[in-house]
Amino acid sequence: MRNHIGKKIINSILPVALAFTIGGIIIALLGSNPFEVYGVMIRKSLMEMKGITRTLQLASPLLLTGIAISLCFKANIFNMGIEGQLVFGGFMAGIFGSYVTIPNPVLHILLCFAVGIACALAFALIPAVLRAYYHVDEMVVTLVLNYAMAKVLEYLSTSVFRDAGSGYVCTPAVQKTAKFFLLGKTKMTAFVFVSFAVFLIISFIMTRTKLGYSIEALGKNPDFAEATGLHSRKKVMTLMLLSGAVSGIAGTGWMLAEKTFYTLDFSGSPGLGWDGMLIALLGRHSPAGIFVAAIFYSALKTGSEKIGLYTDVPNEIVSVIQGLMILFLSIQFLDERFGLFEKLKQKKADKEG
Amino acid sequence: MRGLDSILYESIVYLTPTLLCVLGGIFAYKANVLNIALEGMMLAGAFVSVLVAHSHENKLFLAYLAAFAVCIFLGLVFSVLGVTLKGNVIIIGLAINMLVPAVAGFVMKLMSLASIPVKWFSTNSIMISIPVIRDIPILGPLFSGHPPITYISYLLILVMYLLMYKTKFGVHVRVVGENEDAAINLGLNTKKYKILAVLIGAGCCGLAGTDLALERLSLYTNNMTAGRGFIAIAAIYCGRGDPLKCTLYAILFSITNAVAEYFSLLVSASLLLKVVPYVVMVVVLSAASALNRRNSRTRGAFSEN
Repeated sequence: MRNHIGKKIINSILPVALAFTIGGIIIALLGSNPFEVYGVMIRKSLMEMKGITRTLQLASPLLLTGIAISLCFKANIFNMGIEGQLVFGGFMAGIFGSYVTIPNPVLHILLCFAVGIACALAFALIPAVLRAYYHVDEMVVTLVLNYAMAKVLEYLSTSVFRDAGSGYVCTPAVQKTAKFFLLGKTKMTAFVFVSFAVFLIISFIMTRTKLGYSIEALGKNPDFAEATGLHSRKKVMTLMLLSGAVSGIAGTGWMLAEKTFYTLDFSGSPGLGWDGMLIALLGRHSPAGIFVAAIFYSALKTGSEKIGLYTDVPNEIVSVIQGLMILFLSIQFLDERFGLFEKLKQKKADKEG
Repeated sequence: MRGLDSILYESIVYLTPTLLCVLGGIFAYKANVLNIALEGMMLAGAFVSVLVAHSHENKLFLAYLAAFAVCIFLGLVFSVLGVTLKGNVIIIGLAINMLVPAVAGFVMKLMSLASIPVKWFSTNSIMISIPVIRDIPILGPLFSGHPPITYISYLLILVMYLLMYKTKFGVHVRVVGENEDAAINLGLNTKKYKILAVLIGAGCCGLAGTDLALERLSLYTNNMTAGRGFIAIAAIYCGRGDPLKCTLYAILFSITNAVAEYFSLLVSASLLLKVVPYVVMVVVLSAASALNRRNSRTRGAFSEN
């Protein structure tokens, strides 16, 4: 068992190391010192109080999108809709937070979350129903719906809900009562705790409950699961909606704690949902892995915000490294069930036999 | 009549890259290695064609060649990781889709450009105008005044149809996809067919990207493919990998898109109309799936037909 976990860790670390090596070579070719650049990234993201709290703040939506993706991917549902659900939830929560006045901050924030979750759920319902009851390929539908949602929000933010006082396209900022404020002298907000709590609840569901067991069953052998009386349609609906709700929370939190108004690059590039995908893969779909991956990845983000300031290398190098990481994560360097060593033995035995 | 002509012409502008992705993607689909990197490969073709044209004046041919070569290279990366090393093809596809705009953004930042123009080159110079046909109303905008790759894409519909159904290669690719064990028992080198299927798609994406960026706009902006690769995948799913059916779906999406674009110039809620093609696609995909499964009795959400 220990061996098994060890291989899992190596399988996650090797691709990361490989991606950073290639990134380092590119940096060196540009005439900068890769160790210096990586040094700045680590110092600014993990060594200083401001950096650490900033990393936690950036990690909070990613923890949620990461686990939302895992919920579906682990059960063989390739749900790519997290991104669209997140931006929709965040957008609507932001609109509610700025247009509706509620003097009590706790109530205001809670209602914003309710709106965000409800909207993300509603949007997740479309692919969920299509997948579970009409066998429409969920991957294509969710990808296309993401584009559709981006266009809808572009329309809403440039016309209906546009902040007339601003020079660029954005919606009015949420009211003070709906905002999460920075805690003390740190760079994080109370949303970090909200996100951790939700993350723990979903992790508990994934590892300790019947639903979690059925995720495993669906992922390993759906036909068998169905034959033994597991209603896969219902489970697909549940999982897709649950991940929709979690992405709604992530979007709302990102809106209230970080952005406070909607701009066209609300979710960043490549987007919080896509970052979540990388984190889920990096963490090999286990809650502990996702947690480590989210922190690691946010440290990367915090660091990348500083690279441009302290070195000559453009920030974009970080997205290149991210892309390489996913590419290498697709393959398993070591087989998780049979080690490299056993495999060689097997081959030898085959040859002799 | 002017309106109709312009809608038809714009449909072809949109159709060419999508159609090329569809025609290239069907082989991978049939060989059961779903290539969702069409989007990224097309973007790579667009980026490299314009980049080479930008830096090498008057060497158009080199730009075409470079775009094609880079896409074949990406196809090789995809095949080595996905087929030879048995990686998860969906993740590899996603990675390529993320990596290409990242690299392009990085290079553009180094060049301090927000978009890459090709100043010496005018797209009008390569438009092929066909004498008699260009004056016929509906046929004119469909068959005249387009750049070379558009005509190649027309030709490829037939070529891919023949390749898929009338050659040994096509039969073997389909056998590999439908029943890999049977293919192995027949003595087929399944990996070879899978890799070739991916490479055909990659090459077509190179052409698609070149058409999109260099031939039509002589300009590259990041993420200019705007989901065309996924629209192509939707078309492939709807038509279940049949070259002619998939082509029809690609045409349907292109016309929807051109109509929406045309009317968006006339109405005030123009941005909202841009949602229409995507919505049409989801509806058509759902309808096609429902029709395809009408006669199959299945249990549960995961069972195959």
